[in-house]
Amino acid sequence: MEKTALYEEHISLNGKLVDFAGWELPVLYTSIIEEHTAARTKAALFDVSHMGEIMVKGKNAGKFLQGMIPTSLDRLEPGQCMYSCMCNDRGGVIDDLFVYMLEENDFLLVVNASTTEKDVRWLSSHAAGEVEIENISGLISKIDLQGPFSLQILSDIFTDEALSELERFHFMHSTYEARPIIISHTGYTGETGYELYLHNDLAPGLWRALLAKGKDYGLLPAGLGARDTLRLEACYSLYGHELNEETTPYESGIGWLVNSKENFIGKSALLEQKKHGIPRELVCLELVDRGIPREKCAVRIGGEEIGITTSGGYSPTLKKGIALAMIKKGMLALDSFCDIIIRDNPCRAKAVKRPFYRYTE
Amino acid sequence: MSTIPKELRYSKDHEWINVVEGNIGLCGITFHAQQLLTDIVFVELPEMGLTVEAGERVAVVESVKAVSDVFSPVGGKILEVNNALEDEPALINTDPYEGGWIYKIGMDNPEDLEALMTASAYEKFITTGK
Repeated sequence: MEKTALYEEHISLNGKLVDFAGWELPVLYTSIIEEHTAARTKAALFDVSHMGEIMVKGKNAGKFLQGMIPTSLDRLEPGQCMYSCMCNDRGGVIDDLFVYMLEENDFLLVVNASTTEKDVRWLSSHAAGEVEIENISGLISKIDLQGPFSLQILSDIFTDEALSELERFHFMHSTYEARPIIISHTGYTGETGYELYLHNDLAPGLWRALLAKGKDYGLLPAGLGARDTLRLEACYSLYGHELNEETTPYESGIGWLVNSKENFIGKSALLEQKKHGIPRELVCLELVDRGIPREKCAVRIGGEEIGITTSGGYSPTLKKGIALAMIKKGMLALDSFCDIIIRDNPCRAKAVKRPFYRYTE
Repeated sequence: MSTIPKELRYSKDHEWINVVEGNIGLCGITFHAQQLLTDIVFVELPEMGLTVEAGERVAVVESVKAVSDVFSPVGGKILEVNNALEDEPALINTDPYEGGWIYKIGMDNPEDLEALMTASAYEKFITTGK
């Protein structure tokens, strides 16, 4: 398994290490529920250095990138970032990702750990004109600081005035130990928070500094277990679960990303699907009966199978089971009921509006 | 609180039984088991009146990440279940030998107890794997 630059930190914090996408990372330090709760009520710190960072730059970078994603880059300005995805020619999702515009033709793509190699190959094989694709994942560590006290904790270390003004989906350049760091007002938890990108050798120092500064605010280191419960409550997709190459953005609840007027890979397939009707949709289900749904549980109405869960688990905030499910379109209206089959038992669940949990100031 | 109470008997799957009177025993999972699972968020209790054999699955305990079968250390009939675990499954974490008891069983065959480990044997088992 691969190790991030923060491996020794996880050992010293007694992290319970597991294999995630070939990386040795903590699923928890003390308790998933404690860490989840810290993110929702105080602050939590995540090592997500296993994620991929890919540079796309050159005179043709903007044009090239626009041809690879279904989301318009028109409104993106330097210092801004946006969520998007890449599709194959069937309209299936190759990966979901964040696009950071550093300069006019200079982009940083942040991608999933499990798909980094695939994404680099995909981009490289389609590169045309003056464009350079560079996989810098091996050089960069990523630390996520999430929760209500994120800004206060971060401000104790980064005294840039611009930090408190940094809006969501914007990022800034700062320095740590006189070396560059990117601070982005983004996250995967449904709370306010920041994602920090810096060179590997700086990561342990920053990690420890954040934990020290955050102590008085109740900051806890948090593992992949809490990262999953948090994103599920916020109804964020996870590649390999809600998103895969056989499923289009329309089917997996991210159809709003498809707005580009330019040509892009998958455009004609997506137009076809829209024309003929989208066959499946992603719904949010809350358990009414006792039970915890997991992924790949059948979903039925009146004994008839209508779909399958793509993710499931226990919501520490709602204190009940929740799931995302891919079902035949139109079969389950909001507020209506279905059964999720958990270990051969039908458990009643209700279709609810997304998200299960919404951040409020 | 001892993490391996002396008066109990233990199975290789980390269940315990406490013979409370005659042929009646209280059963649950050990401190060691709950520590491995961490936050227990759901318990599927056995059916009242169910007859089980020693080693048969009798209940299910779920943590945030995992689903874990509970096997009955002895054979017999389920006399009572701990309904408190429906609202407070975390009792198994905080009080695995008392408040976190899972079911009460009327043993068919008290000799089943002989096949179980004593406290010292269980301690050896979890530290050395033997």
